[in-house]
Amino acid sequence: MSDLKQIPVVAKETGKERTNPLANVFDELIRFAQARSMFMLHYCTGCGAIELPPAMTSRFDMERLGIQPMVTPRQADILLITGYVSIKTLKRIILTYEQMPSPKYVIGICSCTVNGGMYWQSYATAKKLNEYLPVDLYIAGCMPRPEAVIEGLRLLMDNIKSGKSEPWKDYYQRYDYYLGNQQHLFGDDWQTPTDIIGEAEHFGLMGPETEGEHTRLLQQHQQPLEPHKMRLK
Amino acid sequence: MRPENYQAKSHPPSNEYELFIGPNHPGIEGNYAFKLRLHGDTVIEGKADAGYLHRGFEKLMEGRLWIQNIALVPRICVPDPVPMEVAYSLAVEELCGLEVPERAQWIRVMQLELSRLASHLFTFGGHAATTGMYTPSYWGVADRDLILDLFEELSGGRVYHIFNIPGGIRRDIPEGFLERVSSTLDYIESRLPDYDNLLFTNQVFVTRAKDVGILNQEQALEWGVTGPNLRATGLTFDVRRDDPYLVYDQLEFEVAIESAGDAWARAMVRRKELLESIKIIRQVLARLPDIQGPVRAPIPNPLAWNVPAGEAYARVESSKGELAYYVVSNGGDKPYRVHVRGPSSMHAVQVLEWLSVGARIEDVAQIMFSLDACPPEVDR
Repeated sequence: MSDLKQIPVVAKETGKERTNPLANVFDELIRFAQARSMFMLHYCTGCGAIELPPAMTSRFDMERLGIQPMVTPRQADILLITGYVSIKTLKRIILTYEQMPSPKYVIGICSCTVNGGMYWQSYATAKKLNEYLPVDLYIAGCMPRPEAVIEGLRLLMDNIKSGKSEPWKDYYQRYDYYLGNQQHLFGDDWQTPTDIIGEAEHFGLMGPETEGEHTRLLQQHQQPLEPHKMRLK
Repeated sequence: MRPENYQAKSHPPSNEYELFIGPNHPGIEGNYAFKLRLHGDTVIEGKADAGYLHRGFEKLMEGRLWIQNIALVPRICVPDPVPMEVAYSLAVEELCGLEVPERAQWIRVMQLELSRLASHLFTFGGHAATTGMYTPSYWGVADRDLILDLFEELSGGRVYHIFNIPGGIRRDIPEGFLERVSSTLDYIESRLPDYDNLLFTNQVFVTRAKDVGILNQEQALEWGVTGPNLRATGLTFDVRRDDPYLVYDQLEFEVAIESAGDAWARAMVRRKELLESIKIIRQVLARLPDIQGPVRAPIPNPLAWNVPAGEAYARVESSKGELAYYVVSNGGDKPYRVHVRGPSSMHAVQVLEWLSVGARIEDVAQIMFSLDACPPEVDR
């Protein structure tokens, strides 16, 4: 058995050497399990929410794929954004997203999350969701049928299984970019209760763009939030 | 939060506290929030927080051609899109003086009633789920899907049909469509006794829903409550009967009423309307083969269509209540101003705020679902 310890095992993500020869096997196993038991938080932002009850209930039955709705973000894996995102809703979406434990996946349903869709000229909607959050995949259509929703989720399952679906790391590695877009929309004093930079340090995901001018602006304004200040405008 | 930022706080006495329901909450209908101030389990103040779905529809419509707006209007109320198209079309037809062919009018009535069936099936499922019974919501969604299949065959879209245009409907119904509508209706009618056993006469539901959220008639009229919520207070008012549009004056149907005005009465009005809608569609199915002819009045090139100057008000009875469009034209190719009189803004804001005072915390979601408000229509 001492020979096994001589085999160099390089972990895929961090680049650090792992001593356990079974580490990559465990990774595969964990990803397989993750792909098969996904808890979905569907934030019903818009019209697309109406195709989710048929997809979840008797007729199309998403649950046979191991996908179940979850009521709280703190236990959810997938955040489903169903439809156009108004600016008031986007603040809540970002709050919700930052509460979710990693690894987390975002799916944008409907054309409106891709490029604004029908509401491209509306003054009240945010046009491209991936400027504010890292989106794993989009399901286009106005609105996509339940089959399309399930097909998109199956694609996500395949991506998770093969370890390709990692945009959630992008939020830590390029936090400055996302925060800049958020500040552009919500104003300079925008802040959330979550400490993303601290989490990035914790996960070892500090990238060159994690900190920048926008995070410096955030740190100027940042203060411990009183409960009554957490109410959004 | 970093541990060094955490500070323990002293809290005020806990018998009075605030609670947010929504915008992302399983007990709320769509993207809508409701803030409660509670004393123990009893609500002492409720505050509706709308605006999460605001897209500025009335402004958007001013920037699009008359015919392009047909694609925009069904998005205002997602579960019940057909009345939106029909009401807008009626208003534009009134402005242009267009005569809609009779066959198109009958087909419009059929769509309107199918949409009402679909919306009510969706709603009572949601209402049942707020009282802890999930089977009716599974059944309701599954049966609604059969109607969506019919719409898909008719128009190509499951949820948004974009089938009614000013001047009539896009194309005639496909061959054999009426038989399929008839068999779907037979199926849904055969399910009604099951729904009664499962939900409407179920003691669990009756006990939970009776005497909850009582709305009296006087208050309802003062606030502009319409539709099933008004009829549940004992007033027989229905736009289909009292101000007939399309061919509703040639149809026989009863206006369903209840007198109690509580959540149970509102659910029962919808239950009775399921049967009435089925009756209406049966009459349409019987008459439609005899009425032949075009389904669309000739309209000018829709991309260069200058509607004569003037203003028009058209109202229909949607599944949520009275829905109206006020359209002003200044003779251009786009509307000058459009105002949507939706039923839900009264139901979801003023009425819900008033009814939730004094209710118990677990009944707030039920009151909201029993009012059948449609959040995208509140915000528009």
